Amino acid sequence: MPSDPQNELSLDSASDAGEAHAFAHVRHQPPHPLVEVWRDFRESKGALAGLAVSVALVLIAIFAPWVAPHSPIDQDQSAFLQPPAWLPGGSWTDPLGTDAVGRDLLSRLIFGARLSLFVGLLVVTLSLAVGVVLGLLSGFYRGWIDSVIMRLVDIMMAIPSLLLAIAIVAILGPSLVNAIIAIAIVNIPFYIRLTRASVVAESAKDYVMASRVAGAGHLRLMFSTLLPNCTAPLIVQATLGFSSAILDAAALGFLGLGAQPPTPEWGTMLADSMQFVQSAWWVVTFPGLAILITVLAFNLMGDGLRDALDPKLKR
Amino acid sequence: MTSFFLKRLALIIPALAGVSLLTFALVHLIPGDPITIMVGIRGLTPERHAEMLHQLGLDKPLWQQFLMYDWNALHGDLGRSIFTRQPVMTEFLQRFPATVELSLAAIVFAIVIGLPAGVLAAVKRGSWIDHTVMTASLTGYSMPIFWWALLLILLFSVQLGWTPVSGRLSAEYWITPHTGFMLIDTLRENDFDAFENALWHLILPAIVLGTIPLAVIARMTRSSMLEVLGDDYVRTARAKGAAPWRVILVHALRNALIPVVTVTGLQVGMLLTGAILTETIFSWPGIGQWMVQAINQRDYPVIQGGILLIACAIILVNFLVDLTYGLIDPRIRHPR
Amino acid sequence: MTALLDIQNLRVEFGAADQPFRAVDGVSFTVRPGEVLGIVGESGSGKSVTSLALMGLIAYPGRVSAERLMFDGQDLLALPPKRRRTITGGDIAMIFQEPMTSLNPAFTVGWQIMEALKIHGGGSTRSRRDRAAELLSQVGIPDPRRRLDTYPHQMSGGMSQRVMIAMAIACNPKLLIADEPTTALDVTIQAQVMDLLLHLQQERGMSLILITHDLAVAAEAAHRVLVMYAGQVVETAPADMLFDDPRHPYTEALLAALPERARGQRRLNALAGVVPGQHDRPRGCLLGPRCPYAQERCRREQPMLHGDTQRQVRCFFPLAASRTSIPQSA
Repeated sequence: MPSDPQNELSLDSASDAGEAHAFAHVRHQPPHPLVEVWRDFRESKGALAGLAVSVALVLIAIFAPWVAPHSPIDQDQSAFLQPPAWLPGGSWTDPLGTDAVGRDLLSRLIFGARLSLFVGLLVVTLSLAVGVVLGLLSGFYRGWIDSVIMRLVDIMMAIPSLLLAIAIVAILGPSLVNAIIAIAIVNIPFYIRLTRASVVAESAKDYVMASRVAGAGHLRLMFSTLLPNCTAPLIVQATLGFSSAILDAAALGFLGLGAQPPTPEWGTMLADSMQFVQSAWWVVTFPGLAILITVLAFNLMGDGLRDALDPKLKR
Repeated sequence: MTSFFLKRLALIIPALAGVSLLTFALVHLIPGDPITIMVGIRGLTPERHAEMLHQLGLDKPLWQQFLMYDWNALHGDLGRSIFTRQPVMTEFLQRFPATVELSLAAIVFAIVIGLPAGVLAAVKRGSWIDHTVMTASLTGYSMPIFWWALLLILLFSVQLGWTPVSGRLSAEYWITPHTGFMLIDTLRENDFDAFENALWHLILPAIVLGTIPLAVIARMTRSSMLEVLGDDYVRTARAKGAAPWRVILVHALRNALIPVVTVTGLQVGMLLTGAILTETIFSWPGIGQWMVQAINQRDYPVIQGGILLIACAIILVNFLVDLTYGLIDPRIRHPR
Repeated sequence: MTALLDIQNLRVEFGAADQPFRAVDGVSFTVRPGEVLGIVGESGSGKSVTSLALMGLIAYPGRVSAERLMFDGQDLLALPPKRRRTITGGDIAMIFQEPMTSLNPAFTVGWQIMEALKIHGGGSTRSRRDRAAELLSQVGIPDPRRRLDTYPHQMSGGMSQRVMIAMAIACNPKLLIADEPTTALDVTIQAQVMDLLLHLQQERGMSLILITHDLAVAAEAAHRVLVMYAGQVVETAPADMLFDDPRHPYTEALLAALPERARGQRRLNALAGVVPGQHDRPRGCLLGPRCPYAQERCRREQPMLHGDTQRQVRCFFPLAASRTSIPQSA
């Protein structure tokens, strides 16, 4: 019997193995999981937009000194509180206007991107590192380690995060670095909880038992076997944690406890600007807008990631 | 049900003990002591300094200070503010109602708008309504709330002149604080002008504070509804010939609300965080503002007592949420 | 006798308009009053989707179309939604496969039955409560009055299914559709629930559409049987004739796959391959790739359903009468 050239024959061994069929049956090669994630991610226009903006922001941050028209701390004594270029009194040398001491707003915002992205990255790295390790220990060993760590988590989560962060900054002294440390510390409980929950759920599964039986040591079990399978929710939380770190740093800056003037951190810029709500709206609007756009972009990405990874989680 | 209740109650005590330990440790790690701050650059003779420290009991060994503190705390005595000399508990009780009133208003706002929005978005999945709700919510919690507050002030107070900029009540009104809730107190005195005034003062801060909870509630409701709408019993309800609205509001929503209630309860922590910023901008005399001041002034008793009481409040609310959860979900009320 | 249910060329499609997935492809059958029709087929055959379509439970983005979808003289497709809903749950009722998840966990069993009564008739709360208790006892639940206030999670699978049945017959339906009613239950309970269903069917003169993949159940319970494959009807016949004397290769394969038929063999007679999905539907006969008798014509054209009012088969080369031997392994 001639076989259909398009398809390959594949026979079930439990059936009439010898009979040739006129028909065919397609062979399926499942695509690589990362490719599938990307495909699902691509489906959401919002997520793509978020990704595009995030990439743009990263580029702006990296190339800030070349992108920005002026230095962020140079004061132009002749142009205090100049409105944006498209309003009367503005000029294109300072496209978004200037602040109370004549600094170009656009340049400050661009350098501020550097700071904010740096803050986000550092905070997430620190809290992820500590949180994941503690979560692994907690979920893996259980017993008294688990009790102690989880009690600590409960206690930390019983205090509003900003309050705790403010208290920590008060101990360490107000500065951007201390703000980063404070926010990282405050975020650790979330990662501990998340990791622990994943570890506990996965530990009950057969592949972990198999590794154990094969003689894998504790470290190997924790980091090579369990951890890779708990990454999906962690990735999503990390993306969202990145954006909330930016918001928290801005909040601390706003309260005068984060980056100190003249550092062009977006929150700090807003702290100075409260008095100009009526007279110079651009000093108030643009830094906040910058924060909004950045955080929104990363949140959209995080959402898209969550949706793309979710079927994997469920599977 | 009672065992559920008692188990939850038992977990509270170690949590509180832990919080008091943590805050004690934190507070005493803050460099500088309150006396130096109070006195400022002028400086004090070392003897006078030591004398004042002794007066405030700050020279005893730390562990002793901690135990004494806890003992007093159980009796409701959290010490006195170093600056105002008032008992911490008294100051807290004076200011707490303001924060509670603001938070309640914020949560009401968040639920009244967020819940229907989430249900609608789920039912009309993929439509423009869905996209609008999702985008608006996402924007809502991507914004720095102090900026949002400034924008709203810019629009409604400065440009339109509809709402006042700060405080709870305009200077020309005087209300004897009874419950501490401005809305209630003004009504008690039958002063409807003052009531209206207080309401106007409340609106903007409530909207600002309620924005993030609104976003969270809308999204949570939507995702919970979407899950529930795919459940078998919804299909059964349709197979019974129930009208679509009945299927959604009676059958689906009832089950979808369970996780939403949990999330809303957890929002209390978020609310207090937001309250700190909101109260600062609107000069709202609540505990958020109180705490920021205290930290800047190194007012130990206030910081310690304040955090302890706030944590107490949060733990209490979480406890109440757990109970509500039990009420809504029959599986917890009547275990097999 | 005029048919209670008359379906001609029912089609249910999902997915993109240009490349739709036909879950149900040209299904036609009739059900007479008091008749038990069994619909058998494996997963993916479209049997459940057919019943959901006639209940009006296919939601967007599914699209239902038919030449004729008549119930009790009414054209279901032409009815406005509100009118259609009076029939759904009233004259036509349905019970599902998973009783444990098919009842709303937030409401008592009594409330749910009373709701069905309220939607289709009303009556005071008291009268509905009495009726609900009566229904519970009719389905064999002891201590019915007390059971009215229990929650679904407090009941076992068998009891949940009885409650589902009670809810379904509450409004005295003319047609009851049971979609795999016993599949999710323990074996010992399965027989009890089937007995209950058949007993109620006979007592009330209801028509029953019994959807199952279990041939034994269909053989015992049904008057007539419909065999479905990949969204199409491949054979229909009175039950005894179908099982003694199958005409379609697929029916034969289903029968051969019964463990009883493999007595004395080392292996069960499984039919190779799987039901075609959306992307690998053959151009010719849908069973072609798996059919041991497939020939050239089967690869080129799709066979149509042909036969008389009693028996119909969709095959170019239907099996000869009284052929009972099964092709042996080479």
